Formats: sequence, structure tokens, C-alpha cells
Amino acid sequence: MNRLLVSAFALGLSAGALHAQTLTAVLNADIRSTNPGVNRDGNTDAVVMHMVEGLVGYAEDGSVGPLLAEKLEISPDGKTYTFHLRKGVKFHNGATMTSADVLWSWNRYMDPKTDWRCLSDFDGRNGLKVVSATAPDADSFVMQIDKPNGLFLDSLARADCGGTAVLHKDSVKADGSWDKPIGTGPFMLGEWKRGQSVQLLAFDGYVSPKGDRRDGYIGSKRPLVKEARFMVIPDAATVKAGLLAGSLDMALMPESDVPDLKNAANVALAIAPNPVRHSLIIQTRDPLMQNQALRQAIAAAIDFPELVANVSNGLGKPNNSPVYMTSKYYGEVEKQGFTYDPAKARELLQKAGYKGEKITILANKRSSVPSFNTAVIAQAMMQAVGINAEIEVLEWATQLDRYNKGNYQMQAFSYSARFDPALGFEQISGPKDKQPRKIWEDPEALALIDKSMVETDPAERQKIFDALHKRFIEQVPSIFTHNDLDIIAHNKRVTGVTPWASQLRVWEVSVAK
Amino acid sequence: MSSDSTVSAGGAMKRNRRMKLPAPNALVGSTLIAILLAAAGTGALWTPYDPLKLSFREKLVAPSALHWLGTDEFGRDVLSRLMAGAATSVWISILTVTLAVVMGTAIGLVSGYLRGWADRVIMAFNDALLAFPGILLALGLLAVLGANKYGIIVALGIAYTPSVARVVRGTVLSLREREFIAASRVMGNGEGFTMLRHILPNCIAPLTVLATSMFGYVLLAESALSFLGLGVPPPAPTWGNMLAGSRPYIDQAAWLGIFPGLAISLTLLGINLLGDALRDRLDPRMRGAR
Amino acid sequence: MFRFALTRIGMALPTLLIVAVSVFVLIRLIPGDPAQLMLGDLATPASLADLRARLGLDQSLPVQFGIWFGNVLTGDFGQSISSQQAVLPLILQRFAVSAQIVLVAVFLASLFAVPAGVVAAWKQDSALDIGLVGAATLLLSIPTFWLGLLLLLFFGLKLGWLPVVGYVSIADDWKAGLLYLVMPILTLFLHEMGVILRMARASTLEVLRLDYITHARAKGLSESAVLWRHAFKNAFGPTWTLIGLVLGNLLGGIAVVETVFTIPGLGRLLVDAIFARDYPVIQGCMLFVAFTYVLVNLVIDLCYPIFDPRVAAQ
Repeated sequence: MNRLLVSAFALGLSAGALHAQTLTAVLNADIRSTNPGVNRDGNTDAVVMHMVEGLVGYAEDGSVGPLLAEKLEISPDGKTYTFHLRKGVKFHNGATMTSADVLWSWNRYMDPKTDWRCLSDFDGRNGLKVVSATAPDADSFVMQIDKPNGLFLDSLARADCGGTAVLHKDSVKADGSWDKPIGTGPFMLGEWKRGQSVQLLAFDGYVSPKGDRRDGYIGSKRPLVKEARFMVIPDAATVKAGLLAGSLDMALMPESDVPDLKNAANVALAIAPNPVRHSLIIQTRDPLMQNQALRQAIAAAIDFPELVANVSNGLGKPNNSPVYMTSKYYGEVEKQGFTYDPAKARELLQKAGYKGEKITILANKRSSVPSFNTAVIAQAMMQAVGINAEIEVLEWATQLDRYNKGNYQMQAFSYSARFDPALGFEQISGPKDKQPRKIWEDPEALALIDKSMVETDPAERQKIFDALHKRFIEQVPSIFTHNDLDIIAHNKRVTGVTPWASQLRVWEVSVAK
Repeated sequence: MSSDSTVSAGGAMKRNRRMKLPAPNALVGSTLIAILLAAAGTGALWTPYDPLKLSFREKLVAPSALHWLGTDEFGRDVLSRLMAGAATSVWISILTVTLAVVMGTAIGLVSGYLRGWADRVIMAFNDALLAFPGILLALGLLAVLGANKYGIIVALGIAYTPSVARVVRGTVLSLREREFIAASRVMGNGEGFTMLRHILPNCIAPLTVLATSMFGYVLLAESALSFLGLGVPPPAPTWGNMLAGSRPYIDQAAWLGIFPGLAISLTLLGINLLGDALRDRLDPRMRGAR
Repeated sequence: MFRFALTRIGMALPTLLIVAVSVFVLIRLIPGDPAQLMLGDLATPASLADLRARLGLDQSLPVQFGIWFGNVLTGDFGQSISSQQAVLPLILQRFAVSAQIVLVAVFLASLFAVPAGVVAAWKQDSALDIGLVGAATLLLSIPTFWLGLLLLLFFGLKLGWLPVVGYVSIADDWKAGLLYLVMPILTLFLHEMGVILRMARASTLEVLRLDYITHARAKGLSESAVLWRHAFKNAFGPTWTLIGLVLGNLLGGIAVVETVFTIPGLGRLLVDAIFARDYPVIQGCMLFVAFTYVLVNLVIDLCYPIFDPRVAAQ
């Protein structure tokens, strides 16, 4: 590893003096902006969610819990949500949060000029409509929706919506344009050197939600380091070198780097699955692929343990369920996936009347997803039972376009994280006439999914998800292969690191001197 | 020293006639090209292993008796992929050069013959195309056409057409006013006939020289495009995408990057040397001293 | 001279306009748009519509072009869709990085290759000539990205002298910054040495055949006087033109070198923008590159008379 140390040395030169109260983390691309829920991607969310908080947030198991709200009441008809706010929560500028701030923030999000990504999810265009939002007194905030909806809180908590963060009005300039986030989170924005690094400074006046340990975005969130600096380093080899040299403290790494890092004396690894689902999606409206026996044949032809082991460097576990492995709704039923049986596959091909027609699998070569490798291996396995599978490699933008238009036979595709399985099902299901990107349009499945969005009793929801899972495995509208892994490599002097939802969290993390 | 460099008409001519042996660059060049064509020809029909066959147990094996050039990250034999890649690359280059020559000659002939404002307009578009760095033009066209064999042929063909057009136009312009053209017209031959019968054959020499070097540029461009991620898509091998795919494994399996690069370099060397030899023979300006 | 420059600029304007229109149309023909890419698989028809409206993509093509081009004429190249940075400053900043590498490499290469080419031409067919031409041909036959990879393997990994990936700007830290530039410059330098040597040799050979050389010799000038006073000066002219062409091409083709060495230059900006469908950046870059190409050629043409008195006399 000596050879890469020179680059690490140079990295050290540029990273500046490192002392024990600074944590140096890594982003693989610069953040897009500091405006929550407006111009964002995964890296942006990870950084921004350190600075802002919303009324509710996700817990580690994917359920939604109160964050800035202390208590939450839902009216019996399910249309009125009353949030009782925590008292004494401070903004970065010292002001105390009241319901006026919540109202101001909400109105700003609903103003089209803000360009809030999730506007259409709350103004009725996607089904849910917030009819009114009021602040009856300084400590409560009331929202009314048009119909009961079990996922209203989920939508508020979504990171890609910026967590519907409560901001102080000084976050915008006098003319209404964005300045910087003045939120209630454990860190404040320090210096943002475009393309190089983002600096977060601990907020001394932070009031953490109750709890003795971390729990997703809720739970204890104390800033234990004075400063966290996120360095923008696109190349994984440089990151590896920096970790080994000790100039970088914490980074998400690809599976292929695990063998090298496991043996390093000063680096520890924390690995956990996340809700991202990797899949081979199928277009059930394609004249060839609409044949259920053919789809079942494909599912039977693939040796999932072998495929997943190969695309994830032996670290991943196969999961054919639309429900992700670390969800609290993942149970015994969901563990039953497809069975590898080449003989059965051939039988099914016969039954399907398959005559050797070509099937094209689309894939892309982005290094962050296993798309290409999955396609190559799946192709080989399909060909082994006599399926004439071809691969077409596209660049990501083109493949995404084909996905959105439904113009494909099969694709090696990855779905972004959705914490609630109902949303996970909704993400892939719907009438294809109106939404060509969806992969499952079975009417009974759609009815079950709608039910799961309104139902609030966890036991009942589990039953619905179980039924959906079984239907999915039976019909094979598409094939899920496995869930993604978060691999955080960190210096051993850094403690408190837990991987979660592909985001580096630097609260509750300390650096030993 | 002085006798070598003395530029006297008679001596140089005699020296040219005495040089019956083919020039060393033609020799080396042709040998390299011959090897390439042999590899490509064989590769199209037979390779030691199936270039697309995966073998998980034989991942990243260094060159050995079983696999002369090693295996890649999927366990595929590098030598077989190199040969299959040769076939693909050669085929793409030939088609691309043909396309560029055909289109460029047509444009150059028309433009050079018409002159006047038609010529100006055509050349303005031509120059606009030339002002696009070739690779970037190809990138844009490829994303529209789709990154596959035929997309690349069209994209690169279009990218190289302007150079051909310029050369042909230049030849046309310089020949237009020569006597035999006027004679042809006086004899009653139409413009088109005159162009084809008299001007076109004179373009062949400069075109041959240009085509030879273009073959090299196209090979290089295809490799560069693959390197950037927009060439002939995997898993079908081309030298360019093999080189691109070798990058993540550069410290574990250096051979993955060395052999495709070596293949490209030697091929280009052969093309350049052969091109030089051809130019020496065909380009009147280069032919010895007066 | 001034009129000459003006006419040339005038002739270049239609070219630039054609480039602007073609790029504009071409990238919108490519499947996929920036709104879709930004929202990824989380896109719903409503959120897509919102984002497209915000980016101005919902208007008709001619309107979009009119707005963009109108702004360009006032110097406003718009904002990057990905990063919301102003496009022109971004392009200039990245261009500075690429230009550093290209200019230094070409300058150094010319310094060695032009005299070497002249000497090779002078001693045509001698062992020295064949050796030089052979070496030059070899150098230019090696693809730059492979050469770069090899240098990386050797100096970066095996010897560990130079950094393997990444970039530090010289403006921030000149010692580290220099380290990062060595290999890309070396790669280009080696390649261009081959190209320029052959060009210099070819144009010298042409000149050596000309009448006035014979005339100069007949007048009794020594060989070296003939060589340096006449041949060199005149051979340099066409070489200078071709150096201009090289520079122009390099500015675009440097994308591969920048990818190998992960240098944040103009080439990579353009390639990344194409993958991200960042329309304003793509349009701005292409226009800028075409403009630079035209400008470089103009400068070359203006300097031509310095080297060839016959041209100036016209």
C-alpha cells in the first residue's frame, strides 16, 4: 500500500491540520445545494439532514416517529393531525422555535416559487392534499388532509423532501432567495468550498430528542465532535488510500475494497443492509414477457446466492421480496423467495411455448450499482437453460428514460430506498396506462396496496404485506435480487459509527484523541 | 554529409531509381498490419476460448500456459477477447472510413465544382463540423443513435467526413483550371461526366493517404470512446472497452491493461508506417528532390 | 492586417452560430432529460412537470434557444442544472486547468520536436533521420490514455513517486498541485513530440526542395546558414499552423487524459455534463471550444506573415 500513500500524503497536505475534534468524512460527489428538498441528491440529503429537522422523522427500523413534535394526535376520522411541539428547541441563530416558524416553513414549501420537490405530494396532484395548516398557539401546529392517509407522516419525513424541515426565516434573504439553512439540527453550516469540501460546525445550543441512543433521524443526536468536514473525493482508490493513511476518518466504500480494508490495522468496518432494492425488472406488457410461465422460468433459472455473491463480493444476501431485509415487516413469509431449479425452468419454458426468441436486458455501467454485473451473470444463467438473452448497455440517462417510458423487456435496475413497505410497493405498482414506469398492475395487488396505505394497525399491515409478497413471488412481475449494503470504513479511533440508509451520520460519533 | 544533402536534380533522380527495395517503414508497417488482419480474420471465425464465456473460478488469472494472456474479472480469456476485439475494431474502422470517404468525396466534389456561394455555404457547415472536437461530436451523436456498432460507424463517419471533403475539394479546385478539364468540356462532355472521369481519379492518391491515416484515427477514436464509456458496449469485446475495463484492476491485474493497449499501439504504428510509405510513393511533393 | 483579422472573425461567426444551433438541437434529441435524471426513480409525473417548468424545458425549442442565445450575447451563459453554478465562470475555471496542461505540454514538445524535425529533414534518410522518425511514429501511435495508464502504473503505483488520482489546484497549494500535473503533462508531451516532430520534418522537407534554397546555396551560403536562416523560418510556418490545429483539437480530446488522471478540466466537464444532460453546460462548453478553436486558428493565421514574408507581402 506504500504506492498509494503518496496521494494520501498529498491529501493530507490539502486537508489541513487535523486535530481530534475534527471528523473528516467523505462524499463521492459535491452536494448540490443547502436548500432542503429543492435541488438534492443522496449526498446532499446526507449533509443537509445534519443541519435541519422536521416535525417527524424516520426511526432506524423505518417507522416514523416524532422529532420536533413531542406528541402527535390524529383525529378519529384520520383527517386532522395535531403536532404538539417540543419546548425550548433552538435555531442556529439562537431563536427559539415556535409554531410560527413551522407555519412559515410550511407556507414556503407550498409556495411554487420555492420549487420544493415534494409539492405535488401534498397539493393533491398525487392523491394527498393538505387542506389547511394552522398554528392555534405557540406550541401546536395543526394540519388537515382531505382523506385519511396512513402515509402522510412518511411523506413529511422523507429525506428527499428535506424532512419537511422547520427553518428560521433568516434562511432566506430579503428578496426571498435562499441564503443558508438556519435549522434546529445538531450541526451548522460552516464553509462550503464548491467541489472540494463542506464543513459542518457543532451547534452548542442543540437540544437533542430524548433517548439514550441513536435511532435513525430521531433518538439521541448529540454533536460529539466540534467540526465535521465532508471532503469531496470521487475516486474510491484515493479514499482507500486516505483511510489507510489516517487522513480520512469515515467513508462509504464499495464491496470490492473490503478485502483490503479488513486487513488494515487502523481501519474498522461497519456493514449493514439498507432499503435499496436491486432487481431485474420485467415489462409485463411486452408480447413475449407477458407470458407468466416464461417469467417463472427465468426466476427458476437464476441461482440467486451465486449471483448475489458475485455482484457483491460475497457480502450481500439474496432477497427476492419487495420488502427490504431490515424492515420491521420482513418476516418468515418474506424470506421465502424463488428456488433455483434449472430442470423446472426448462419445463416452464416448454409450458410457455418459448421458441428461442431474443430477450434483451438493459444495463448501465455506473460504478455505484451492480447493474452491469447482474445482467452479465443473469444472462449466462438464462442462456444455460436455453433462454436467448442479450445485454444492451446504455448510459444511465438513456436507461432511465426507457424505464420511465416502459420501453424495455428486462432491465437491471435499482430502486431508491423507501422506508415503508407500502411505499415500496407503491413505487413499483400502478396502472401502466397512466404510469408506464410501474412494473406491477395486478388489480388485486393494487387494491391490497391501497389498503395498506390507509391501515394503521401493524399486525394487519403485516398480513397485507405477506399476501402481497406471496402474490409477487407467484406472478413474477419482476425479480428482486438483493438489498444494497452500506459499508462504512472508519478509523479505529472513531467510535459510535452505525451504517444506516446509505448516509454518513456524524452525530453521536466521537473521535478519540 | 554534403553528398547526402546536396539537392541537385540529377543526382536525386538517379538515387530514386536505384532504390528498388521497399522502404523499411513500408516493410515494418505492412508486417504489423498483416498480423492485425490475420488476428482479426482468425478472431472472426475462431478463438481459443469463447470470448464471452464466464468462469467464476478463473477470475483474474495471470498469464499462464492455459491462458496465454490471462483472464479478466469474469474469468474470460484475454487472448480470445483480444482476437475477437480485433475483428470488431477492424470491421468498424473499415466501414467508418468507407462512409467518411464516400460522404466526404461527394461533398468535396460538389462544393469544389460549384464554387461561388454554394461552396461558401457548404464549407461553412463543413468547418463548423470540423470545429467540433471529433470525440465530442461522436459522443453527442452516439447518445442519440445509441452506443452500438452501427451508431459508432455513423457517428465517427460523420465526424471524419469534413476532413475528406476538404481534401477532395482542394484537389478539385487545383485541377479545375487545368487543360485537360477544359479539353474535356470542349469535347462536349457534361460537367458530371468530366468530374467523374477526370477529377475523381486524381483524388485517389491523396485520398488513399488520408484514408490510411484515418483508419488509425478511427481505431483510436473508437478506443477512446469506449474508454469514456460510450463505445461498443460490453460484454462484446473491443480493444477500447477492454482497456477501459482494466482500470479498476490496475494494481491487481496489470495485464488486463497492458495487452489491449499494446495491441492498439502496434496496430497504429503499423498503420502510420504504412501510411508514410504510401505517402512517400504517391505524394508528388514528397517524391525525392527535383 | 486589421482588416484581415476582422474578415476572418466575420467568417467565423456563421460557423459559431451553426455550432450553437446544432449543439442545442442535438442534445435535446438525446433520450433522457435533466429533470428525469435529477429525480431518478423517485419521479412522479407531477414532480417531473414541476421541475421541467422550473428549468424552462416546457417551452418550445425555438423559444428556449432564443432565450439562451440572447443571454449568451450578453455574456450570460446560464446556470448549471446540476450544481447551479454560473456556467461561464465554471467553464473558464476548468479551462484554466486544461489549458495549463495542454499549453505546457505543447510548448515543451515544440521546443524539442521542431529543431529535431528540422535536423531529421536535413539529414533525410540517414540513420539519425530514420531513428528520429521511428521514435516519433512510435510515440504518436501509443494512445494517450494507455500511455497515461502506463505512467500511472509505473510512477504512481510501482515507484510511488507521484499521486495516482485526484487533483489539487496549484492556486491552493503549488507544491502538491505540481505533483498532480506532472503525469498528464508528460503523457501529452510524449505524444505531441511525435506529432510535431513529423510535421516539422515534413514541412522542412518541402521547403528544402524549393528554388530559393538552391538559390541561397548557389549564392555561396554555408549549409547551416541556409538551414537556420531560410529553411527553418519557412518550415516553421506550416508547422505553426498545424500546432494551432493540434491545440484546437487537444482542447477537446483532452477528455481522455483528464479521465485517466481524474483532473477536473474542461474535457471532463463536458463529458460529465453530457452524461448528466446538463444542457446549459454542454451548450456553453461546445460554444466555448468552437470559439477557442476559431480564435487559435485566427492567431495562427495572423502570425503566419512573421514566418513567411511572401504571405505578408500579399
